[in-house]
Amino acid sequence: MTENFEVQFIDRDERTARFLVRGVSPAFANGLRRAIIADVPTLSIDSVRIIENSSVMFDEQISLRLGLVPLTTPPNEFEEGDIVTLALDVEGPETAYSGDLRSDHELVEPADTNIPIIELKYPETADSPQRLELEADAVMGRGRDHAKNQGGVAVGYRHLQTVVVEDDADEYSDSEPEILRGVIEERAAEHAVATDGTGEPENGALVATETFDNDLSKRYPDKEVSVRDVDDAFVFHVESDGSMSVDELVTNAADSLAERATELEQAVQL
Amino acid sequence: MMVPVRCFTCGKVVGEHWEEFKERAKEGDESPEAVLDDLGIERPCCRRMLVSHKDLVDIVSPYQ
Amino acid sequence: MELRVIDKESTELSIEIAGEDHTFMNVLKGALLELDTVQAATYDLNPEQSGGQTDPILTIKTDEAIDPLDVLGEAARNVQQKSENFRDAFQAAS
Repeated sequence: MTENFEVQFIDRDERTARFLVRGVSPAFANGLRRAIIADVPTLSIDSVRIIENSSVMFDEQISLRLGLVPLTTPPNEFEEGDIVTLALDVEGPETAYSGDLRSDHELVEPADTNIPIIELKYPETADSPQRLELEADAVMGRGRDHAKNQGGVAVGYRHLQTVVVEDDADEYSDSEPEILRGVIEERAAEHAVATDGTGEPENGALVATETFDNDLSKRYPDKEVSVRDVDDAFVFHVESDGSMSVDELVTNAADSLAERATELEQAVQL
Repeated sequence: MMVPVRCFTCGKVVGEHWEEFKERAKEGDESPEAVLDDLGIERPCCRRMLVSHKDLVDIVSPYQ
Repeated sequence: MELRVIDKESTELSIEIAGEDHTFMNVLKGALLELDTVQAATYDLNPEQSGGQTDPILTIKTDEAIDPLDVLGEAARNVQQKSENFRDAFQAAS
């Protein structure tokens, strides 16, 4: 069985990407989605040693907030269960930010530096300012065990869709918007109008529905249309929390599936 | 009390954008809708995290 | 990944695959069903809270001529192949 996958990016930024995959079965697409969410290990703070905390929040609340801060996880550097130590020391009146965390590994740092952890005060009635000093251990863990380890945020896929022009719309009917979200493969270019900087409609082009306000009646004015799914073609939306790039997230997920299949194959042969 | 670090529903980091949102939309006169769009907070689940948040540190700090 | 054969006949197999969940089992089931020699394949996975059997149990029925364990090996190989093909295609596109 030789299957050929075809991957095509629709849009991508630093932390989000949307890509089309052709030739995947629904089972494999879902396996990949689940693997991106639950099986790609990332670093996140797991245990905290509080040295001083005179802030208005309890130690446990602070620890929870620290756990949710995404940490950059360099590729091929760590294995599951590995530990990186971080430290934080801030004195009021000032806000402690995620960016104040210092790690003992040069490649590990908070992916977002502007997350307020806790606002520290110097109350007039107090004789010393509020202070937060702590040491924290970040552990490489999987999203399956705790959501803080999920590298992918809002990962999902949709069928690639295509629009079939059935007929002209009834001349005297009121035109109603026909809302569709996702990506369509253009197969009726002769009836389509160019929308929002996508150039002339062309058969075979991939058009994101946002470009025509998610409204088919703007793309195919005065036509009666129906929408079909394209078999075995899925449009994935992957968003990273910053711990690693989207590319790494997806390749690691595919590797984790391959690894398990290899393991099973070997176990069966015994 | 403090802004949630992540969106409860989808897990996107929203704490990162709180201070800018507060400055521009809550204290400034920009429309919250435009600011959220500008910050790249698209989904309703993430938007409500910022729109409905209130800082309480100043209110509780005298009682500590 | 630990395997435990629960029931094995010439064309039928029930096997427990410890430590796996829907992520892998559904992919594997999909790959099994793509094989012509497989008549039926399914898996049963109970939620953690159910307290009893919480590891998935895979059941395969094959044609007369072929051992279900061989079929399982072939499906696993296909999953591995697919994942690698996908990764290569993805890297080529990015």
